[in-house]
Amino acid sequence: MTVKYLWSIFFLSLHAMVPITLTAVGEVVSETAGLFDIGLEGILLLSAFTGALGAEAGGWILGILVGIGTGLVVGLFFGLVNAYWKGNQLITGVGINLFALGFVAFGLQALGTPGFHSVPRVAQLPKVPTPVGGLSPIVFVALFLPFLIHWVLFRTRVGLWIRAVGENPEAADVAGVPVELVQLLSTAFGAALAGLAGAYMSVAWMGSVTKEIAAGRGFIALATVVFSGLNPLLTLAGGFIFGFFDSLATWISNIPGVKEVVPWQFISMTPYVVTLLVVTGVIGRVRFPKALGIPYRRE
Amino acid sequence: MADFLLKAERIVKVYPDGTVALKGVDFEVRPGEIHGLLGENGAGKTTLTKILSGLLPATSGRILTPEGPLKLRSPRDALQRGIGMVHQHFALVDTFTALENIALGTGTEPGPGLRQRVEGLMERSGLKVPLDLPVEELSVGERQRVEILKVLSREVKVLILDEPTSVLTPVETDELFSLLRRLKADGVGIVFITHKLREVLEVTDRVTVLRGGEVVGEVRTRDTSAEELARMMVGEGVVVGRRRPLELATELPIEERRVEETGGREPALVVEGLRVLGEGGREAVRDLSFELYPGEILGIAGVEGNGQTELVEAICGLRRAEAGSVRLRGREVLGRSPVELYRLGLAHVPEDRWKYGLILSFTVAENSILGIQRTPRFKGPLAVLRWGAVARHARELIRRFSIQTPGLDAPVRSLSGGNQQKLIVGRELSKEPEVIVAAQPTRGLDIGAAEYIRELLLKMRDEGKAILLISADLDEVLELSDRVAFMYEGTFTAVARPQEIDRQKAGLYMGGIRAGEGR
Amino acid sequence: MKRVKSSLWSILESVVAGILGLAVAGLILKAWGYSPTAAYVALVRASFTDLYGFAGALANATPLILTAITFAIGARAGLFNIGAEGQLYMGALAAIAASLFRLPAGIHLIVALVFAAVAGVLWSLVPAILRATRGVSEVISTIMFNWIGHFLALFLVANVLVDPYRGEKTISAALTSRFPILIRGTDLSYGIFLSVAFALFVYFLLWHTVVGYEMRAAGANPDAARYGGVQSRRVVVLVFALGGIAAGLAGATQSLGRPPTYAVYSGLPQIANLGFDGIGVAMIGRNHPLGIIAAAIFYGGLQAGARLMQMTAGVPLEMVRVVQGVIVLALALPELLRIFRGLGRRLWRPRSLGEGGEG
Repeated sequence: MTVKYLWSIFFLSLHAMVPITLTAVGEVVSETAGLFDIGLEGILLLSAFTGALGAEAGGWILGILVGIGTGLVVGLFFGLVNAYWKGNQLITGVGINLFALGFVAFGLQALGTPGFHSVPRVAQLPKVPTPVGGLSPIVFVALFLPFLIHWVLFRTRVGLWIRAVGENPEAADVAGVPVELVQLLSTAFGAALAGLAGAYMSVAWMGSVTKEIAAGRGFIALATVVFSGLNPLLTLAGGFIFGFFDSLATWISNIPGVKEVVPWQFISMTPYVVTLLVVTGVIGRVRFPKALGIPYRRE
Repeated sequence: MADFLLKAERIVKVYPDGTVALKGVDFEVRPGEIHGLLGENGAGKTTLTKILSGLLPATSGRILTPEGPLKLRSPRDALQRGIGMVHQHFALVDTFTALENIALGTGTEPGPGLRQRVEGLMERSGLKVPLDLPVEELSVGERQRVEILKVLSREVKVLILDEPTSVLTPVETDELFSLLRRLKADGVGIVFITHKLREVLEVTDRVTVLRGGEVVGEVRTRDTSAEELARMMVGEGVVVGRRRPLELATELPIEERRVEETGGREPALVVEGLRVLGEGGREAVRDLSFELYPGEILGIAGVEGNGQTELVEAICGLRRAEAGSVRLRGREVLGRSPVELYRLGLAHVPEDRWKYGLILSFTVAENSILGIQRTPRFKGPLAVLRWGAVARHARELIRRFSIQTPGLDAPVRSLSGGNQQKLIVGRELSKEPEVIVAAQPTRGLDIGAAEYIRELLLKMRDEGKAILLISADLDEVLELSDRVAFMYEGTFTAVARPQEIDRQKAGLYMGGIRAGEGR
Repeated sequence: MKRVKSSLWSILESVVAGILGLAVAGLILKAWGYSPTAAYVALVRASFTDLYGFAGALANATPLILTAITFAIGARAGLFNIGAEGQLYMGALAAIAASLFRLPAGIHLIVALVFAAVAGVLWSLVPAILRATRGVSEVISTIMFNWIGHFLALFLVANVLVDPYRGEKTISAALTSRFPILIRGTDLSYGIFLSVAFALFVYFLLWHTVVGYEMRAAGANPDAARYGGVQSRRVVVLVFALGGIAAGLAGATQSLGRPPTYAVYSGLPQIANLGFDGIGVAMIGRNHPLGIIAAAIFYGGLQAGARLMQMTAGVPLEMVRVVQGVIVLALALPELLRIFRGLGRRLWRPRSLGEGGEG
């Protein structure tokens, strides 16, 4: 194994880490404020699609912005229904997932090749060349954001509000914090990050959109959130672990001897098995905000 | 210095559902004075202070400061005007540090600037608290100090404390009182809500007594006594007894000791050395022992929050106990599940109707078998539910207990509170228990329903059942019980027969004065 | 009477949501340049105006009823079991595996169904145990198992059960283990009877047995259920097991009941997404077996008609899933209608617990 080979594995893992970490760190903010969004998978899918379209129309800048915007819109909807109207977070999330599944498949079919759409090379986000391989700029965003979010959550007044609202909304209310507004903005922010992650997948990483592009990453992100114990910094670790196993399939079959022994399907399974093991091991030791998932109702 | 800091005039508060909490209350807070606010549950103390601290709007009446009338829109508003309240149930975020909680409560950044200010404040006030531990790791007394610091850091002129000592040890209570005296010397006006007579006498300068939403008296502390306060708190009135003389009347000690067995009757329920933890890990029930005999009603009187809830939950299998034993008809049952207790003859009318007693989205018929769904009467072969039997059972309950309902299939949440309670009581009684634990059975019910239930309890008593009645309604307890125990901070301050208790004594026991103690 | 009234309210909510779903989907169609009226006319015409179309609707409904039941039983007991997808893959393949044996007709089908049911249960067992013993969120565990099942299924289809003559599919189900076709020339098999029967069985279970009573109690009010002696661990395992059986059978109806090949192709087109669609069907059917049957037929009809819609109006057939998604989202809103109703009731009635100010 040459050093260059190891670097390429590392880079592959980094790229695969991005959608997980971005989505997870956004969901950390949302869950810290008490809202549990299982519609992340749908947001990833939707924004991957809209991002691809945006990129086609106006280059990768537009693509990324459209992707973020898509996530933002969905997040605002989710926040409105669940923070203000005290709806059912799980049902809303499932609805988003189903809608996204249908809409994207529909859209792909309407555009030409059913199930697949590629983003023109020209519109893709170019990678930053380094001596050992290309690195997408968004990787740096994904590496940097958890630190920023950690700082905001734990060192600023706004972070205090977000944490208070999720843990003890009554105390926050008594202290004059606008509970519903904080929840709305937190979940919208989280969804916007998921939107960025989705756009990244189609515009910057894979260069195409398929119905299955999300491949359960929304749920892996949820598992990463569990693993992180709502500590934004740990979403980096979690994301990298899953990114590593996710990219496993790409390079492990190149190792002589492996391909013959281990069928590719089992290699592809590993991210999910690992997720399961991690969540099982971590649960019980992790502490969630007391008011997570419970709509706040005043006396 | 003006002669008052805050004056409430003719405050009336009517809640949206019609309850009148305050009927025109006048209240004044003077600088450099500790003003005690005394009363039972439901007297209106907390409501009044919630209004004064901006948490609730008054229905009518006004609040004045020396500068003019005040319109408070929120607690933060009040805080800005110098009125701060320390709640009975702390408004703290458990996972935050003390510093972060103070930052939250005052709307500031949790940075070095705030830290400096708080440290200075701690120095001046003598309140020491670790600033960087999560608040849930602090002792209850320390947590209260955080609440107080939160309020003090805003330079309040009026400090309101709601039952502050209900969670403190005696040592912590003394420290709190020293602090209050220091603040008093600085000119702060302090409002001290409590139901504990001894504390009122010890630390306040003036006392206002509320009863039923009205002020029944305002005196200077040094001019009054525990007896007078107790009398004001619970009111005049003759104790009405509706029981025939108890066959097994015994010579009852009026300290908390075990009752001697007489008449050869075995006690139906024996509780020994029971210790139960409550919220925040503090002791809710402390080394409690008592016996309950068949054919008697043992009433547990006392202001809510003195461990009654935890006691009932521990006995009835819904909460674990740290130590002690509970013997039901001779068998040790501590820690067993509710269904096992039922099989041994215990029925439980729960205090929290909607949490334990009923499943609101289920129908009347479905609720009528909650707890007994697995008995052969209702469970057929292959676990089939015998709806016929269930319907018959439900109809029987409706008839026997005059439950008003549109039908068996009506969702139980559509029934009125009284009828819901009748359903619960009826269901529990239909289990033909030997021991009945009734917790706050008539709370929130209209007169008719409440009377009905009380008559029912007496009838059960006459039929030889053993009944444990827990009620915050002193009249009810004195009226129905054959023996009364007064619960205070997890133990009994007195156990006696109602004939031996006049209201004044009751007030004393409920306020923490032990029977047989000097004044 | 009250119960009938509240059921009518639920049905009304679903209908309103349905209309909303179609309306929003129509807007999307318009925005994309299609004609909503042409599309909807084609949809309705295909499935609900003639026998063959309706048979197609029922054929599609067959697995959906079962996967919806998987989710609905969980929901009734307060659990979020979204693992039908993986469980049905395993069931479908287990049913095919039964074709490796030789058995007389009739018996063979039953044995295959048993294989499928067992496979479904096994696949739901781990999430169930994790939830019952360690409190692991079943949302995450069942989704992970869905994906693991997806890849395992791909593997089995390509390597273990593969047809030696046609590598892109599994062996076909043995003639003796297939579901007989109900209406000649259609896809509708006797599987529909199995689905409806299972739904009716679940209905009976939930409302006419003590076990079902305890499940519903645990979902409606866990504290009161504890007070009433319900053991939550037992409920969790039972609910997941039943759900696994339902999903496994759903898979079997596809591998044993889809002419002309009665097999599973690589890429799993016959069985993909049936689990997720089932969740939508369950929500539209308000988690009630009878509502689910109706909702499944509705959705199955949409799916069947979608092909015609694609041919005549040029609308991609995936549109039906957009409709489904919007309907579910709309259902999250009428939940509000329910909440507002409840709030309104609480304000008008005097508060039962005498709250409104402690002393």
